[in-house]
Amino acid sequence: MKKDKVLFITTILLATFGVIMIYSSSYVWAEYKFGNAFKYVINQGVFLLIGIVLMNLISKIDYNIYKKHVNLILLGCFLLLALVLIPGIGVVRNGSRSWFGLGSFGIQPSELSKIGLVLFVSKYLSKNDNEKRVTKNFVFPILGIILLFFGLIMLEPDFGTGMIIVCALIVLIFITGTNLSIFVKLGMLGLIGIVVLIIVAPYRLKRITSFLNPWSDPLGSGFQIIQSLYAIGPGGILGFGFLNSRQKHFYLPEPQTDFIFSIISEEFGFLGIFIVTTLFLIIFYRCIKTALETEDLFAKYLVFGLSFMLIFQTLLNLMVVVGMIPVTGVTLPFISYGGSSLLVSMTMIGIILSVSRKSN
Amino acid sequence: MFQHIQNSRIKLVFGLVVVVFLLVIIRVFYIQVIEYEKLNTLAESLWSRNLPVQADRGKILDRNGNEIAGNETTSTLVLIPNQIKNKEEVATNLANILGVSYEEMYKHVSKRTSIERVHPEGRDLSYETADKINKFGYDGVYLLKETKRYYKYGETLAHVIGYVGIDNQGLSGLELLYNDYLTGVDGSIKYFSDGKGNKLSMPEVYASPQSGMNITLTIDLDLQLALENELTNALKKYKAEGAIGIVMNPKTGEILAMSSRPTFSPINYQQYSVETINRNLAIWQSYEPGSTFKILTLAAAINEGIINVFEDKYYDTGKINVSGTTLHCWKHEGHGSQTYVQVVENSCNPGFVVLGQKLGKEKLFSYIDRLGFGSKTGIDLNGESKGIIFDLDRVGPLELATTAFGQGVSVTAIQQVTAVSAIINDGNMFTPYIVSSISENETGIIIKENKPTLKKENVVTKETSDLVKYVLESVVANGSGHNAYIEGYRVGGKTGTAQKVGPDGRYMVGNYILSFIGFLPANDPEVVVYIAVDGAKGVTQYGGTVSAPIASSIMKTAINLYDIKSDPEGMPREYLWYEQKYITVPDVVNKSKKEAVSLLSGLKVEYSGTGDNVVSSSPSAGTRVKEGSIVKLMLN
Repeated sequence: MKKDKVLFITTILLATFGVIMIYSSSYVWAEYKFGNAFKYVINQGVFLLIGIVLMNLISKIDYNIYKKHVNLILLGCFLLLALVLIPGIGVVRNGSRSWFGLGSFGIQPSELSKIGLVLFVSKYLSKNDNEKRVTKNFVFPILGIILLFFGLIMLEPDFGTGMIIVCALIVLIFITGTNLSIFVKLGMLGLIGIVVLIIVAPYRLKRITSFLNPWSDPLGSGFQIIQSLYAIGPGGILGFGFLNSRQKHFYLPEPQTDFIFSIISEEFGFLGIFIVTTLFLIIFYRCIKTALETEDLFAKYLVFGLSFMLIFQTLLNLMVVVGMIPVTGVTLPFISYGGSSLLVSMTMIGIILSVSRKSN
Repeated sequence: MFQHIQNSRIKLVFGLVVVVFLLVIIRVFYIQVIEYEKLNTLAESLWSRNLPVQADRGKILDRNGNEIAGNETTSTLVLIPNQIKNKEEVATNLANILGVSYEEMYKHVSKRTSIERVHPEGRDLSYETADKINKFGYDGVYLLKETKRYYKYGETLAHVIGYVGIDNQGLSGLELLYNDYLTGVDGSIKYFSDGKGNKLSMPEVYASPQSGMNITLTIDLDLQLALENELTNALKKYKAEGAIGIVMNPKTGEILAMSSRPTFSPINYQQYSVETINRNLAIWQSYEPGSTFKILTLAAAINEGIINVFEDKYYDTGKINVSGTTLHCWKHEGHGSQTYVQVVENSCNPGFVVLGQKLGKEKLFSYIDRLGFGSKTGIDLNGESKGIIFDLDRVGPLELATTAFGQGVSVTAIQQVTAVSAIINDGNMFTPYIVSSISENETGIIIKENKPTLKKENVVTKETSDLVKYVLESVVANGSGHNAYIEGYRVGGKTGTAQKVGPDGRYMVGNYILSFIGFLPANDPEVVVYIAVDGAKGVTQYGGTVSAPIASSIMKTAINLYDIKSDPEGMPREYLWYEQKYITVPDVVNKSKKEAVSLLSGLKVEYSGTGDNVVSSSPSAGTRVKEGSIVKLMLN
């Protein structure tokens, strides 16, 4: 049987484009910080190659193996998440103790938990399908586990990843066809949660107000979004052309990470943005198609869960970059700089490919 | 297995994701297309640093294109410390060239600022210094053009032109009034920099500065310089407190020259008192005009048909009683019996009191109003005053009487010039103006053009106008204005001697404004000249003595400039015993030697050639020569 070629190729295309853009957006900073303009692009290029091999490899593995060992996988994730919090083991980057440093590379256990949790939740939901009418029995136990992981991630703290996991998994629960009223309640709970989070760390409120009017604090909380708009706006319809971004010249901080989409807008304009978003939608469409076609409920949930997690993160990033929602610190899958993130994203696609191969 | 509910919910989520994607794309479209302009401008200002290149201020030119106010170009040194690579080397060389210590220059080149200027050593650089710096071609070292106002003729026309402040902004006069036109648009050298202020390799964009617009005046520089000269001399000669001079074309209202004393040098305006630099006395100062105002009373009386100036007589005893007050004529014993032409020639006050009485206050004051006294003339300059005229209901017989000969009213010089111009210009009054056009510097395209504006028609009839001109010509030929007489030309005019009101509200003793208003040619005037000298000392306090010669000199300049033709039709001068007489050389060609000698009485005759028949004479017939001059006859 054959895997989904469109999905496979589109993913490689997007990730390759990502590496190219990492060069364009990072060389100024890389030269400045390390005296080596190619520092970031070489790192990411290596990860891309590993990622492609990994994706291909995983696409050939029967996904039912994960189903069998899902408890072990989740336990591993749990232990890693706990370990990373211990100073001396976990490394602090950008204010979050979320990394295991391995030389210049790093691994984020929260990224790995994404896959672990989707596997676990998918298995749980498909196994307990009969009980889905009884919200209390069906939803609450799994919600408890999700929130446990969320709590751990928030201890790092990594609000962005935590939110992606919680939201994506709740949508996954929604897919099962369970009673809608629970989501209303969850929504209210989430709102209360957000209020609590803001009270705990008031800088988050500043992020929200700065999103409403970034110019109210142009050098503080509004800085990133203004710099992002200064990149996107002047790009116009066709952009300044490859390598010609101006905002990457020390205006937009770390342009190869969260705000790489702004640099793409600046260099390739609206047309470039249209093509990139279309590639994302093609990937999502192919995934959804696989999810709809498979008759294995676990596979269906797995494919949907993984692909929705990716697309949700994508949307979260895009909406931040274009100023539709407050800054959350979420990277753009396949494109933003980050080895472990790229590997996890490609692993996810690999798993989806293995499902598509089987259902065909 | 049935998974309908799961599949439909998956489709629902997919649909929602597509919708959010669309929203993101629409948002990007909005930012990149709709908000493009705004964001691009803002971002551009973030990326680029502008080095200003100063625009030239518009020039102020006289009617023939001579530059009165222009610009001086200098260079100024501008440093962009972030771009300077070898700071020690740059500092050493700049310190040498500019004569600044190395330590100080090093501070400048390494200062943490985007643009640094070296004050004052780095400003006003000569071409040579600028060239030396330029030759190094250092990054981050720029020489920018700066421009400064320059008044080639110093104090000339100072009150009209005004002056500019340190940033070349107009602060008074035309410089202020037309500041928006005169101010150019500064250009810039724009370079792009990164977030740390380093220059990016993108090419610099040079936006050339746009010079301000040029203003062409109605002023004639030659005439203006002559006027300035005369006033300066008069001030020196008579140790006067002030002076005013205006030359205007009565047929258009164009001001050809305007000046006043005390004056100032616009470049160093800070060194003068506020009153000196801000008061253009020619339009600001209002004072009792004295006898020049009699022109109005005369014109009114003729226009109303009240008198026949040739036949009606007035007997002057030297004084006249007006409701219990005795008003004196300047000639104590009186002028005796005079025609009204002689009343004007003698500037006889009682005669004018009678004219005023004959007119009545309503009529006299209606002429005052009609001729523009008590209101602004509307000249295109700042700071004009209205003067003061009695309210009609407060005018009693005494006020009427004094007004008729020019006391008790307060008027400006420009009002008098405008009114007299109207009277002698067939009754057509033109609004005086000084700006003739405003044009773009580069293209010369005229943006705004001022044409003569006929303000009022028929303030007096053409017949009245002609008669007044005749009488005033006679004033110069036979009367008090004889010092303005120009041999061979027709000059009309009237003197004025006005008492000044002191700070206590009383007339000051021995302190007068001596004035003269004249025009040329008397039958068809092309220029009106008004001269007033304030507080002249050591001279007969009489306008004919001080101001008439100045006006005459100005009119002579006008004759040369405008090539005004000599006119033998004019009234011959009546000479006083101590004055030299002029004789017109008669036509003696083809006459016999004997006939010629008798015709040439009063002249010395010399002969060349032999014979009895006169072939030619030198000077030729029609030339005006002094009595006793030599006339050479060629005989055959």
